[in-house]
Amino acid sequence: MAMKEELEAIQEQVVMNLQAAKTMDSLEQLRVKVLGKKGSLTSIMRMMGKIPPEERPAMGKLANTVRANVDNAIKQRREDLTKQALHARMQAEAADVTLPGRRFTHGTQHLINQIREEIEDIFCGLGYIVADGPYVETTYYNFTALNAPENHPSRSAKDSFYIEDNAPEGKPPLMLGDSDVLLRTQTSGMQVHYMEENKPPIYMICPGTVFRPDTPDANHLPQFTQVEGLVVDEGITFGDLKGTLDYFCREIFGKDRATRYRPHFFPFTEPSCEVDVSCGVCHGKGCRFCKNVGWLEILGCGMVDPNVFQYVGIDPEKYTGFAFGIGVERVAALRYDLPDLRMLMEGDMRFLRQF
Amino acid sequence: MRVSYEWLKELVDIPGDPQTLVDEFTRTGTEVEGIERTGSEFDNIVTGQVVSKEPHPNSDHMWLCKVQTDEPEPLQIVCGAQNFEQGDKIVVAKIGAVLPGDFRIKKSKLRGVDSFGMNCSERELGLSDSHEGIIVLPSDAPVGVPFAEYRGMSDTVLDCEMTPNRPDCLSMTGVATEVSAIFDVPTHIELPRVAEEHAVGEEGDEGVESLVDVRIDDPELCCRYTARVVRNVKIGPSPDWLARRVMAAGARPINNVVDVTNYVMFLTGQPLHAFDLGKLTEQDGKRHIVVRRAHEGEHLTTLDEQDRALTTDMLVISDGDDRAVALAGVMGGLNSDIDETTVDVLLESACFDSGNISRTSRSLGLMSEASIRFERQVDPERANEVSDVAAALFEQCCGAEVVRGMVDEYPRPLELEPIVLRPQRVRAICGANIDDDFMVARLERLGCGVERCAEAEQGEMRVLPPTNRPDLTREIDLVEEILRLWGEGDVEPTLPASRNHAGGLTVAQRRERLIGQTLRACGLSETTTYCFADPRDISRLGMEREVAGVPVKIIRPLVSEQSEMRRDLIPGLLRAVAYNKDHGVANVHLYEMGRVLIGRPNKSLPNEPTFVAGVLSGAWDEDAWNHRYGKLDFFDGKGIVEELLDALRIQKARFRVPESEHASWLQPGLAAEVVVRGSVLGWVGNIHPKTLKLFGISDPVVAFELSVDALQRLACDQLPYVDVPTLPGVDVDLAIVVDEDVTYEQLVQRITSAGGKLLRNVRLFDVYRDDVRVGPNKKSMAFSLTYRADDHTLTSKEVDKAHTRLVTKVLKSTGGEVRS
Repeated sequence: MAMKEELEAIQEQVVMNLQAAKTMDSLEQLRVKVLGKKGSLTSIMRMMGKIPPEERPAMGKLANTVRANVDNAIKQRREDLTKQALHARMQAEAADVTLPGRRFTHGTQHLINQIREEIEDIFCGLGYIVADGPYVETTYYNFTALNAPENHPSRSAKDSFYIEDNAPEGKPPLMLGDSDVLLRTQTSGMQVHYMEENKPPIYMICPGTVFRPDTPDANHLPQFTQVEGLVVDEGITFGDLKGTLDYFCREIFGKDRATRYRPHFFPFTEPSCEVDVSCGVCHGKGCRFCKNVGWLEILGCGMVDPNVFQYVGIDPEKYTGFAFGIGVERVAALRYDLPDLRMLMEGDMRFLRQF
Repeated sequence: MRVSYEWLKELVDIPGDPQTLVDEFTRTGTEVEGIERTGSEFDNIVTGQVVSKEPHPNSDHMWLCKVQTDEPEPLQIVCGAQNFEQGDKIVVAKIGAVLPGDFRIKKSKLRGVDSFGMNCSERELGLSDSHEGIIVLPSDAPVGVPFAEYRGMSDTVLDCEMTPNRPDCLSMTGVATEVSAIFDVPTHIELPRVAEEHAVGEEGDEGVESLVDVRIDDPELCCRYTARVVRNVKIGPSPDWLARRVMAAGARPINNVVDVTNYVMFLTGQPLHAFDLGKLTEQDGKRHIVVRRAHEGEHLTTLDEQDRALTTDMLVISDGDDRAVALAGVMGGLNSDIDETTVDVLLESACFDSGNISRTSRSLGLMSEASIRFERQVDPERANEVSDVAAALFEQCCGAEVVRGMVDEYPRPLELEPIVLRPQRVRAICGANIDDDFMVARLERLGCGVERCAEAEQGEMRVLPPTNRPDLTREIDLVEEILRLWGEGDVEPTLPASRNHAGGLTVAQRRERLIGQTLRACGLSETTTYCFADPRDISRLGMEREVAGVPVKIIRPLVSEQSEMRRDLIPGLLRAVAYNKDHGVANVHLYEMGRVLIGRPNKSLPNEPTFVAGVLSGAWDEDAWNHRYGKLDFFDGKGIVEELLDALRIQKARFRVPESEHASWLQPGLAAEVVVRGSVLGWVGNIHPKTLKLFGISDPVVAFELSVDALQRLACDQLPYVDVPTLPGVDVDLAIVVDEDVTYEQLVQRITSAGGKLLRNVRLFDVYRDDVRVGPNKKSMAFSLTYRADDHTLTSKEVDKAHTRLVTKVLKSTGGEVRS
């Protein structure tokens, strides 16, 4: 066979075999068979010296063309196979994307502490500091310095957990079940502690656990959380109290909520009031959630009573101030319409992980 | 306090309807807790007049009437009664009325004629059994008036919560005064007067002093005591109006004498007590009322037939020195009560110390309408006046003869000081532009005497509060009155124009939040448990007395399981684990950060350190299609503690085996103390199976507890920056077989110290035990060691040299051998 035919035959054969090469390996085998050291095309190229000189240029050109064609064809086939392989791999890897993802097991924060931190952040934004006080208080801080009269009913052992006084001079537990030491029934005692230790201007909140002898039921816990607030500065007005608490209510309950101030009585503030926020379910029209009132009571507040200032040596003519107390469980119950406050204390994972 | 709207209307002009009053009460600080309408069973029943009466066309005994009511046109009504005539005033149940027995009045046809209502008999209205024809009213009865209103049965009663500073509002006259100030309208309170006083004595010229004397032994507890005597009372039921008022106020009518005392108390706020004069001991022809403290060990049977053991701080009324006849200001004694046989009455109108009555009432657990009023302070100035009112009513309603005069002991008269009120100050505190005239007008409506000081600057006023307002003693008290009447809602909200202060969390507070965030990132959910503890908790943990400290004990706990304060967080968390397991939740991962209370001998106040503790039980989650969760074990707990220490940048923590007495609640061999720079921060370990059993838990629980105070102390805000390596390191694996008692910590220490400065990282990747391949009581620990230099790429020769030296040293110091 003439060289020319041989070259053409090789090219034809390669093109034919390429389609049969389904894998990279068989393609490589094909390449070696043609272009390898002992490959068919390589052998022909080696014989180039043996052909007559006058045929050499034409034959050489033909041989180079064939070689380039074969080379390109193999490269092309290789690319195709790579693409196919990738395609096949991706097809094999394809998953049912509706299957559940692999989840991280992170924990959740207790609802009450979430709200407590939220309240802290709101007031920090208004320039307040966050103070902390003891759970066990003397009657002086819990009542007396807060202007609660000596025989005020709130002091009774029915309304406070008194504890055994270990001090040798301490009052022995009497029939009345009281002593001079008790679990704080309110965070308000921190007003007194804080004013004793700091001079105005004072902008502080004190979140914390408080205790009252209420048997646990759907609406009561013997241990719950309050956030006390206290502002003492020159020129503080009742309007400032309203502006502050209006801001708080909108931040915590939503911008569309209205507030209502009802005069009330607390021993340590005067004038005092209770603050209601408009019902989020009916927006004030009255519904089952708000017991048809249209309003939900959320906190108590008032202007600091001058007697309290006198206990801590602040001049009530120079300074005025306001104080407020927010029930955190109340906020939680209103936000989530909780059916039973006791769930907050049980540690049930199914409850805790919802928030 | 139950406020009858009809009664109130007699005392003050109230604009609008009951709802207006409720809204204004709410606005000015009287909380209305309930609204009760009486007489609503007579809705759609009105008075009417028979305009025409003709025989029924289809009946020989029925009548066809036209009756004028409050409707524009007369109603056509078919009626079978025979006892009325044209022009009579009758009672008509219109369409929509519901009569007793759920009998609904509808439009009906009687023998072919339409009837639009019913003429009613007493029995049909449930008023009596009388069915002798329909009710025919007196000829002067009005037409078209609701029947309930006509009979005086229509009323709205507001159940008001009066704040403890407002004793005045525990009376109808006080509420009327309040209403007068709210609406700026006048009151018209008219009190009855005694018509005739009777002299007594053999000569018929003596007064009450000849029958009674009064001695107050303790004027601190009783500043005034008045006594009157009325004779020949005719005990019987009260007249309708009186019974109705007493019922509206929430009391049960008993008899005319008792009802009068109750009525007058509701009207004026002054509790009264009526003694049966005949039951009081007579001495020298007189009754001797003594107001004294109870004797040691004295008992009194009160009106509710309870025997009361009295203490010497309680005040009693006694007849003479010995026999107590009433617990002053709280409840009368059974030995001197009014009954059907009572003829003569001694009427007490007195004023007792509010604090003392409050204590007595609380100690005995005995509250009464009287004690509620006394403990909020009763107006001593009016005791005599109120006694006169009651006497007048005894005269009117009980047919009594009022004995001339009154015994009035008033050792400590009330002294009132005028209050200086600065209108500028009022405006400054309120942040509202309230004008002077408003202040004057409303304070006067409240019963204050207001004197504007012409000479004083800025319109100062002198305000003399009324005697029944003990809450008004200072300028700020008046500010409150003015603001609440003006309207707290109308004050413009502002934010304080503050200077010179900055807010925000402290470093420690931010760290406390970081602790929580880290634990949650580790998979623990936060819970809160009670700060109360069961006294058995500490022994359940097997803690020693010294370790646990002194308990803080509650004098009157709600339940014995919560009679002291917790000294450790773990019992509460174990209860939470048990709760979850009992409710079918197998996988529990909880933490709590909170205080424990450790009492101190001879000190009133305990220490209140903060701890953080966690419990793990079960697995992280249920197995998923692509993930299997193993059972949580000791190293999950330890890993969390390590993460927490890392987050707080606390370095060089050691975990060491605790001495057993310090970890009695932990399973030996799976317990470690966390030690940093020589101080113990807390522990991590598996809870001892014996402890778990005491808390009702059968699954293993891994737990940890760390002192937050110690974490705060050791935490570090920042660590120095370390260069990120730019040159490659060389990793070499090394498996060493050592005796079981060689710890990981020891081995790493040897490796680190033998590795020199080129050894940069030591990572344990396998621990392998096999009696045959490794040998009994031995373990193989496989490490990946990373060698690196900072200034050049290490040659294999350098690495070989360093590694060979390391291996030699480690083998020598641990007695181990390389596992090939």
